[in-house]
Amino acid sequence: MRGDPGAHELIAPGSLNAVLSLLANEPGKWTPIAGGTELMVAHAAGRLTARNLVSLWGIGDLRFIRIHSDSIVVGAGSTFRDLRAHVTISGDFPLLSKAAGWIGSIANQSRATLGGNLVNGSPAADSSPVLLAYDAEVELISVRGTRRLPYAEFHTGYKQNVLAADELLYAVHLPRRFAQHRQYLRKVGTRRAMAISKVALAGCAFVERGTVREIRLGVASVAAYPTRLYRTEKAICGKTIGPETIRAARAAVSADIVPIDDIRSTAEYRRIVTGNLLQEFLSGLDAPRENMTLSLAQWNEADGESAVNAMLACCGAHKWAASMIAHRPIANESDLHDIADRMWETMKESDWMEAFACHPRIGERTVSQGSSESLTWSQQEQSSISTAAETTLRQLAEGNARYEERFGFTYIVCATGKSPEEMLSILNRRLSSDRAAELREAAEQQRQIMHIRLRKWLDE
Amino acid sequence: MSTLLPAIEFRVNGASQLIHVSPMKRLLDVLREDLQLTGTKEGCGEGECGSCSVRMDGELVNSCMVPVVQAQGACIETVEGLACDAELHPLQKAFLDFGGAQCGICTPGMLMAATQLLAQNPHPSLAEIREGLAGNLCRCTGFIRIFDSVIEAMAANTNHATRQGGDAR
Amino acid sequence: MGRARYVDDIEREGMWHGATVRSNIPRGLVRSIEFDPRINWGEFAVVTAADIPGKNHIQLIFSDQPCLADGSVNHCEEAIVLLAHPSRQRVREALDAVHIEYEPLPTVFTIEESERGDVIVWGTDNVLKSFLLEKGEVDQAWDKAVHVVEGEYRTGAQEHLYIENNGMIAEYSQSEGVTVWGSLQCPYYVHKSLVAVFGLPEDKVRVIQTETGGAFGGKEDFPSILASHAALLAMKSGRPVKMVYDRLEDLAATPKRHPSRIRHRTAVDAAGKLLAMDIEIATDGGAYSTLSSTVLSRATLHSPGPYVCPNVRVRSRAFATNTVPYGAFRGFGAPQAIFAVERHMDEIAAAIAMDPVELRRINFLRDGDTTATEQVMREPVILDKLLDRALEESDYYAKKARFARENSASAIKRGMGIAAFFHGSGFTGSGERYLNSLAGVDVTSEGKARVLVSSTEFGQGTNTVLTQIAAEALGLETTDLVMAPPDTRIVPNSGPTVASRTAMVVGRLIQRASTQLVDTLRDAAELSEVFTRDEFFAACERYRALHGEVVSLCRYEPPPNIFWDDQKYRGEAYPAYAWSVHVAQVAVDTVTYSAEVEEFWAVQEVGRVLNPVLAGGQVEGGVAQGIGYALYEKVLWQNGRMANNQMTNYIMPTAEDVPPIHVYFEEIPFDHGGFGAKGVGELPHDGPAPAILNAIMNATGVGFYSIPLMPEDMLAKLAASHAIEESVSV
Repeated sequence: MRGDPGAHELIAPGSLNAVLSLLANEPGKWTPIAGGTELMVAHAAGRLTARNLVSLWGIGDLRFIRIHSDSIVVGAGSTFRDLRAHVTISGDFPLLSKAAGWIGSIANQSRATLGGNLVNGSPAADSSPVLLAYDAEVELISVRGTRRLPYAEFHTGYKQNVLAADELLYAVHLPRRFAQHRQYLRKVGTRRAMAISKVALAGCAFVERGTVREIRLGVASVAAYPTRLYRTEKAICGKTIGPETIRAARAAVSADIVPIDDIRSTAEYRRIVTGNLLQEFLSGLDAPRENMTLSLAQWNEADGESAVNAMLACCGAHKWAASMIAHRPIANESDLHDIADRMWETMKESDWMEAFACHPRIGERTVSQGSSESLTWSQQEQSSISTAAETTLRQLAEGNARYEERFGFTYIVCATGKSPEEMLSILNRRLSSDRAAELREAAEQQRQIMHIRLRKWLDE
Repeated sequence: MSTLLPAIEFRVNGASQLIHVSPMKRLLDVLREDLQLTGTKEGCGEGECGSCSVRMDGELVNSCMVPVVQAQGACIETVEGLACDAELHPLQKAFLDFGGAQCGICTPGMLMAATQLLAQNPHPSLAEIREGLAGNLCRCTGFIRIFDSVIEAMAANTNHATRQGGDAR
Repeated sequence: MGRARYVDDIEREGMWHGATVRSNIPRGLVRSIEFDPRINWGEFAVVTAADIPGKNHIQLIFSDQPCLADGSVNHCEEAIVLLAHPSRQRVREALDAVHIEYEPLPTVFTIEESERGDVIVWGTDNVLKSFLLEKGEVDQAWDKAVHVVEGEYRTGAQEHLYIENNGMIAEYSQSEGVTVWGSLQCPYYVHKSLVAVFGLPEDKVRVIQTETGGAFGGKEDFPSILASHAALLAMKSGRPVKMVYDRLEDLAATPKRHPSRIRHRTAVDAAGKLLAMDIEIATDGGAYSTLSSTVLSRATLHSPGPYVCPNVRVRSRAFATNTVPYGAFRGFGAPQAIFAVERHMDEIAAAIAMDPVELRRINFLRDGDTTATEQVMREPVILDKLLDRALEESDYYAKKARFARENSASAIKRGMGIAAFFHGSGFTGSGERYLNSLAGVDVTSEGKARVLVSSTEFGQGTNTVLTQIAAEALGLETTDLVMAPPDTRIVPNSGPTVASRTAMVVGRLIQRASTQLVDTLRDAAELSEVFTRDEFFAACERYRALHGEVVSLCRYEPPPNIFWDDQKYRGEAYPAYAWSVHVAQVAVDTVTYSAEVEEFWAVQEVGRVLNPVLAGGQVEGGVAQGIGYALYEKVLWQNGRMANNQMTNYIMPTAEDVPPIHVYFEEIPFDHGGFGAKGVGELPHDGPAPAILNAIMNATGVGFYSIPLMPEDMLAKLAASHAIEESVSV
């Protein structure tokens, strides 16, 4: 350990407003630190030049994932684990989910934040190519207000960005319009896990009858900062996929990037492999989309009652289940999720309550309402409870009781992939919320559960 | 700059701790030096080797990357908290019996990562085990018997849960 | 469990912390050492070469390496000044306040530069050591040969990357002398070094091994340096001093595996039988000789491979360069030599259009054959059987055929590769005689039997195996046995824990000593022919009443018919050999030019397998390191300094990278090993690199000759022969 803890001031004001005031009052003095996965490495190596740091960790106003009908807004304080675990993100933005799983290790993912990844501005940043491909916008915040700009304009040079001295990166906005787009992400690292990328390419294209109508390419590790490949996109857009287009694309990308020799790789390698990845993406655009799954086909043909029951197992609101039936026949998995979301959005509080009531309390095994299939799935989703310590179970029971007393409905959380301690921790956090916010949160959790179950149902 | 060391209050292995310490001191160093819990190790100081892994609020973290002020109010679990008195945790027993530990230096971190994995996913596939442990480097075993140990502990857990009267499945 | 105490977990009362001021140039004269007046040096203990009471060298084979640089430096990171202070923080900061002025001298960084001899950095010709091994008449064979195949093979430096960095704690007093505790493999090596540095009698130096978090040879000789440093600071400060390196320092400043360049020129007849092997070995030994001569020796002896060849010449030289001296690392010269010969066998097979499996088979050593040093194989050699088993378990031929069919239509090219090899167990030739190891057992009055050895545990199973041997030989349960503390005050010198010798040589001593104790108790303490454990301990107490203690030690006895000529390099090079065949299945991705091992099979004969879990673990761990050696682990040099001295940038395989590794043992007990054991620790590191590169050649049709083999290295040749631009088919 070469850094001196005593040589740095680190304060944790605990709220977004307090941090923004601090940055406004003393611009340029304070360096924000979120999960620390970058700054603490420098600290240990004795290279941390920032003397005054302000902690962003634990600020709820920065750590959120909000679902709107046309966009998902990810708070800059969201960790990569938050991103990976989020069902809607893995449905709408699979590349982001994938990238989140490639960052460091599980331990790094639970601390590294999306904001930290972008503001640190490494040319190799794992989330950047994906956000470029998804045409993301960043939202910056200060005491003066907020402003939005395309993420593609955020970086201006090596480790330089447009943040003013009093500004923080607040959120990333992702437009939900890629359900019909072809998506590609590949990271080339030194090994399968815990690898800084040598080259990474993300692509998002809309292809209609073999012609590329729209394409965005985001790339890492081949320039001073992660960038779009505008010239290359131009060489592809409007063209039909074929050997000529691919050759033109390869030629364009070679001129579009400025790779260097460094400790991890060579300029020549990066140049050639970027071309190979691009070719791999473009070659795949010609393949047909995935087909309808068997259970979906059967469901389309089934009688009303069986069809409704299949839906109720995924979400216990009768109105929702009925609205899904009304949309039969549903063409494919992607449409199914899409319609499920749109129908869920039309539900009201009473429908939500009906859905909530079908879940056993976290930590309990039974519930008085809902089908046996629903119960089985609840038990699977909550399977980590079997490993819970006695104290944790007790605390969950107490917490559940307090929650119901305060808000009037069961504590709902998407349990899949969460440890008992985590679910308890989230419960405690949410207890301090207000009913309106909690209702929305529970509805959102219910939606995530619904998607997980729809996927499971399709896999059966 | 203030010369007063702020108070950090948190729980470690179920016990409350209150210490006055520099906020930029690494959680790893606080555990080892201030709390004499030397089970958690430093292998690299960069968040690459995982030998400093602990669980913080139910998530796995590299404690060399956590400034202690960010552990304020947190629930920390270290390897010392795994065994209950003289009784080894099923994971520890499996590691001992199945060759999951050779020199033992990576073992505390490996156990915490395995505990985290099984807490989130009681029946991981081999691929999920590999991913769950990918942040913990072991130079002695080649990982193979660590995977075996986790699979064995998983089986022991299942029996344990079944004996506790689980019904569905 | 978290309770084991590694050196950094230990605190001694009043302990200070030490740090090292190191050279930041690769070679030069030290013109001045200035201590910045902004620091209050009165708070510190400062040690330079002038403070050394005894000899300023680290006692190994030669004594060319100073304990502290005195007037000149010969590699980056060479230790010049030592500092100690109560605060770990302050002593680190003070390093920047010691200003050293150098007069740089010309440098040598590669084998080629050293060989050219334009700049002499060691001795008269930069050659740290050389060997010449000759059998038959190599030069007569070329004209008669149907084929002559040449090749040049290179291996890079490799870092041990034990997860626990080097560390020591030292204390000094007039009355007790020097005591050190630390992470180390060989207590008596450290002991010998400290005796020389301090000029103290042997009983005034005490070395104790702490729980050691991995070693692999990286803690064979280096701890002598670190122990001397910590002890000098302890002497100067009057305090206990702890010196524990962080990863940045350990990577940059401590020894690595010797890089090598090995050239083969081989004559074969029409049927593929080896007629002559002309081998030239060059290793890079770094700035000081340390262990370069013994590594070179092993490389020399392993370079002809497990084959019969009537004419062999091996010319080997270790060269000095201005880099951190290279040292011991699992395999100790054999991985380098076996990489070259096993890659070369596949090159020969390709040149003569023969199956590489059959080429090996017809040339294998068999019972009664002689090696390149004229050693007759008196113990059974079952390479055929190992090869058959490896081929069967890996489904080698079927897979090879399937991949040949499938590869053309796939961006991923798959292939199979093999390597066949031996590893000489124990020290070369007269090495064990020279070591003259002493080991045994005793029984305490608390009713515990103890194994008395200086052989250390660092994860490879010393403790388990030796207590197991003792228990079996004494007729007790393993729970009755403990290891005596690895403390030079308590245990005899059973030799260093290296060279895969522990189970075989030291185990044998324990076995003999145990048997001897039982015989003694039967003769002199009324122990009956068949006895229970209670009767055993009762007999011990009877014996103790008469003789004061119950201890049985044995000295090394060489197996019969071991003759070794150090000058001619002829005779019984090793008392025993372990044999192995490795098979690798690799996948090469022509989009990224990276190779991965998909599956691996290791079949070996290592005598009697004393503990299957431990032996299996050794093989798996060794194979994983061998995979790293071949495909992942690269040391990047910048002006003689390791530029990638961070775990982020020195890449070892993770849990997601290691393939399934299948391990199979064939057992033939070896009479002169502990309960029939031969060594297993190093053997598994010898095979993966050539097996993998042979598989890559099978997969792609392209041969590579240098490791570590990175995608950037494969790019040029693969892009040319597998240009995916040409394969655009939509």
